[in-house]
Amino acid sequence: MVEAIKKRWQILKYKFIFFLGVVGPGIISANADNDAGGITTYSVVGAHFGTKMLWVLLLVTFALAVTQEMGVRIGLVTRQGLGGIIRETFGVKLTALVMFLMLIANMGTVTAEFAGVAASFGIIGVSKYVAVPIAALFVFFVLFKGSFKTTQKIFLVFSFFYIVYIINGFIIGPDFGQAMTDMVTPTIEFTPIFLITMIALIGTTITPWGQFFIQSYVVDKGLDIQHYKAEKVEVYLGAIITNVVSFFIIISTAATLYKVGIHIADAGDAAAALEPLAGHLAHFLFAFGLFVASMLGAFILPTATAYAICEAFGWEDGFDTDWSRGKYFYSIILITIILPCLIVLIPKISLVSIMVLSQDINGILLPFVLLFVLKIINDKSIMGEYTNGFWSNLVAWITIIGIIVATVVLVASSFFILG
Amino acid sequence: MLYLSHVLGAKVLDSADHVVGVLQDLAISHKVGEYAPVRFLVVKPVRAKKDVFIPYEYVDDFSKDEVSLTTSLKKVEFEKHISNRFVFLDKDVLDQQIVDVSGIRVVRVNDLRMGKVNGKMCVLGIDISTKGLLRRLKIEWMDFFNWFSVDMIDWRKAQPLRRELKLSMSSNDLDRLHPADLANIIEDLNVQHGGRLVQSLDVKDAAKVLEEIEPKLQKILVKYLGPDKASDILSQMSVDEVADLMKSLPREEAKVFLSHLRGSKMKNVEKLLIYPDDTAGGLMTLDFMKVSPETTVKQAMEEIRRHSSKHRSVLYIYIIDEDEKFKGVVSLRSLIVASAEKKMCDLTNEDDFHKNSTLKVEDDVDEIMEVMTKYDLFTAAVLDESGKLLGIVSIDDVMRHLVPNA
Repeated sequence: MVEAIKKRWQILKYKFIFFLGVVGPGIISANADNDAGGITTYSVVGAHFGTKMLWVLLLVTFALAVTQEMGVRIGLVTRQGLGGIIRETFGVKLTALVMFLMLIANMGTVTAEFAGVAASFGIIGVSKYVAVPIAALFVFFVLFKGSFKTTQKIFLVFSFFYIVYIINGFIIGPDFGQAMTDMVTPTIEFTPIFLITMIALIGTTITPWGQFFIQSYVVDKGLDIQHYKAEKVEVYLGAIITNVVSFFIIISTAATLYKVGIHIADAGDAAAALEPLAGHLAHFLFAFGLFVASMLGAFILPTATAYAICEAFGWEDGFDTDWSRGKYFYSIILITIILPCLIVLIPKISLVSIMVLSQDINGILLPFVLLFVLKIINDKSIMGEYTNGFWSNLVAWITIIGIIVATVVLVASSFFILG
Repeated sequence: MLYLSHVLGAKVLDSADHVVGVLQDLAISHKVGEYAPVRFLVVKPVRAKKDVFIPYEYVDDFSKDEVSLTTSLKKVEFEKHISNRFVFLDKDVLDQQIVDVSGIRVVRVNDLRMGKVNGKMCVLGIDISTKGLLRRLKIEWMDFFNWFSVDMIDWRKAQPLRRELKLSMSSNDLDRLHPADLANIIEDLNVQHGGRLVQSLDVKDAAKVLEEIEPKLQKILVKYLGPDKASDILSQMSVDEVADLMKSLPREEAKVFLSHLRGSKMKNVEKLLIYPDDTAGGLMTLDFMKVSPETTVKQAMEEIRRHSSKHRSVLYIYIIDEDEKFKGVVSLRSLIVASAEKKMCDLTNEDDFHKNSTLKVEDDVDEIMEVMTKYDLFTAAVLDESGKLLGIVSIDDVMRHLVPNA
């Protein structure tokens, strides 16, 4: 009897381990999109424009699934990171350009993460001059002394906090009919503020670093092309799950803040969207969620940046190298933590603006990275039989062109207004 | 000092100083352990679409400032195609990964140092430094404090990986690397390069290296090599390592790989496949010395001499009777100090062999460690219910299980 139970338990254990074996890259990578920049951007989208931008979110879900799947596929076929392939295919000059753009975009995102830390502590009345340096030190300490992977998992579990937005969404009882209609009716306002928010919405969901991250994740995990089908499902699932959360953040803020005309000026305003669920505790709940999301990004991004750059330039990487051999690796991590902290500590700077604008930088730089990804994935000498099909190429091109057009219109309209 | 980045993209002049084209690439002939001489210039002629290959014999001056020919382009007998024996420096070497044998690491080629050896223009070294990177980007001036220094690998000491690479452990510096170090290098490479490196090794060395590679990459590499090529290497690996590897593969695939192994090897692997990973059965190896109780010390030592190369290590001699029942164990030390005529069964005493100092197949890692620690064993015998000796667990198999990433 006991033996039988033990056997059963063993089988269950193996099944569970197998399940965990495939799960990871898609879900984690997509979930990390709901970081400080993400929550704030979605909140601003809902608060300032109601459900008008939901059609963009729908398109972005497809685009996220397709672009992440492409990253997974390149990783599975080549078993190499994106930085390395770009270097070997396009030479050192273009590599330097892409790495520079990625560095800028990632620094922007890390800045958003520390702004998120500052904002969440701001809600409970702790000064950012205290909270941000301590958070930075903590990130530092864990990265250099502790286990990066364990911490990442802990924060990932915490990040399931977003389910509160889904529950909240149902409690408010928003106008789902209107939301569904808006999801399939493209509306666009040719104002800088609308365009800037729209690019941020795209840029916070599909990110340059996300492309690098998911590809090196599948390589590190030791997956190969045999796992392709399972991975594809996982990636699509990840894209849908995160964007369901995004959907509910937007309709929550739309139903609470947009309705009464509150514009989000600080994180406290965004927290008000959770009041139907949590009442007075809404602020604490939001502060906790924002903090966790910020920390997750603050852990992943500096490390991911350092790995990508070192791979491209052939510098030694990894936390098991000593300081003199891994000096570039450690320097990049340090710079991508310290510089963003300093920006956040500038007195009177608007934290919400940082969090949204950093997503704009990501959005504007994204097409360049995607162009490289597209070029690689359509190269038979690299991908063999696994080159892109018609639909993947179509979705990727629409994403690229869509962002470029939006950016051009944005720049043009800003000039128009200034002029 | 001349670098490849100085001449790539340079204008090529003829004897009358007319620009006849732009230098695209250089073709070298590569031989392991020698500086590679430049054999052809790959030039895109003015007003022509296709590149031509100009033999290096026509070059008059090849320097930082100019590349000039001894004659006019019309008189050059250039080639339209050259054999793919030649390695192209820009296409095949620059920006690729190479193995730095002396530093035991994988690096990227940032630039190549050129120079004359015995009057021939050759590739001398590989610049892997940040200085080389700045030079390639044409922003060397940024290093005005001279913070960065050039870090050069001798061409003869490096192994380019993109083209088919031919190296054998014996004729090459790679043989100085410990299999574990070589395994680390392969872990750093992508699967094509890593697979090629494994294939380039002699099968015995390849087996040692493959054993040291982390399990998930092992699996990918073996699949990349395919059953035919992998079976040669697998048959040189120790049975328990092969069994572990097969366990990690889907059943159908494992069957295919197994069917490519020799009969006896296959049977032994299959014997191990039935035990779960973290038990004595899963950890044990079939690789040990066994003799019958009546064997004399002299005979046993001869036996060791004869079969030593087959075994990974010989620390203990196991004594089994005709029914393969475990009868005791003799350490190498007691064997050496014993007189030659003594029988093996007389050498086992309470110190070496205690009833509790053996393992059962289903013992888990904790139990194994307890027994091995308590009785100070380097290897422990694994018995079935009837007392038959099935295999032995060695301390490094336990260590590998506890510290899988080392």
